[in-house]
Amino acid sequence: MRASETQLKAWMIGGLDGDAACQARLLRALVPIVEAFYRRRMQDGLGDIDDLIQETLIAVHTRRSTYDRERLFSGWLFAIARYKMIDHFRKGGRTCTMEGLEDILVTEGFEDESGARMDIDRLLDELPVKQADAIRATRLEGLSVTEAAARAKIGESDVKISVHRGLKALAARIRGEI
Amino acid sequence: MNTDQLIEALTKDVPPVRRYSVGRRLAAGIAVGAVGTLLLIVLLLGFNPQLDVAMRHYSFWVKWGYTLSLGTCAVVATTRLARPDSGKLGWLWVMALPVASLAAIGVFEMSRVPPAQWLTMWLGESWSVCSALVFMLSLPIFGGLLWSFRRLAPTRLRAAGATAGLNAGAWAATLYCLHCPEVSAIFVLTWYTLGIGLAALLGAVIGPRLMRW
Repeated sequence: MRASETQLKAWMIGGLDGDAACQARLLRALVPIVEAFYRRRMQDGLGDIDDLIQETLIAVHTRRSTYDRERLFSGWLFAIARYKMIDHFRKGGRTCTMEGLEDILVTEGFEDESGARMDIDRLLDELPVKQADAIRATRLEGLSVTEAAARAKIGESDVKISVHRGLKALAARIRGEI
Repeated sequence: MNTDQLIEALTKDVPPVRRYSVGRRLAAGIAVGAVGTLLLIVLLLGFNPQLDVAMRHYSFWVKWGYTLSLGTCAVVATTRLARPDSGKLGWLWVMALPVASLAAIGVFEMSRVPPAQWLTMWLGESWSVCSALVFMLSLPIFGGLLWSFRRLAPTRLRAAGATAGLNAGAWAATLYCLHCPEVSAIFVLTWYTLGIGLAALLGAVIGPRLMRW
């Protein structure tokens, strides 16, 4: 189970007040969150993800004075993670126009989106991998069933069934949670 | 180094962070730079010998009102852009307010003198050097802000560079008022704004190179 926004924020503020134990807990809790963030966005170059995670942790630690206690922690975290990813692409010589991307992020309500994404990730993580992947591919990334099937190297009907069962399980879980 | 070791190494040193530390850091950078700018004015230009007389005239306060309000907007914008989650910047359009006010004062002043004097009002005695001086005087403050940004976390580097340049230009222009003997609003509107704009342009051009982290 991933740490919640409230918990992460509490650790972050503890760290800002000089509590090293809080800071260590925060950084450890961020590892899987940041890792999931990068895995979802970088299909190729998986080897770089460990470096990126470490760079992000260093940035979170050394630039922690730029966190505003009044604001959402995950917004701040993912802004750093995204910046490090774009910087990484730029170093690698990939064309990635940063200014335009940022404008899109701002207009799309990045903070709300990242908060919602954390919730979705948490829910999807509780499903079997195949169902979660099928839902991500068809419902979040916008692939067609055919494309999703080709990517996962499974049949089209398998994708459809996985999506159907996964969504049903999610719905049951959400009803149960409320 | 694996991630656990990294976290252990990082959290050996967790000094408390004071509130408003971003603002403090930026203020320190601007202040150090402003000392440099003041030194340049003292050494190269000298204060306006009739500063006390000038300060009793409304035009001095029009100039300061203009440069200080631009400077204030720039500080607020830079403080936001120094954070990774900088938020929206649409409100920066309020900077049109001081510009429009100054233009209105300029038009009013022009209406009170014969058109034959308009050119003299516009060019003053120092139009050919004013913008260049404001730009030059902005460099120490821009340097101070670059120092501030070494510990901050901008993610929109071009915008952050531009507002840092705007800051430097506006505060340099504020200090330049201590030297500049010009009095007309359209002079300030044209040549001060040009100098401040050049500083912002410089920031936008070199910001992405110098503010990476």
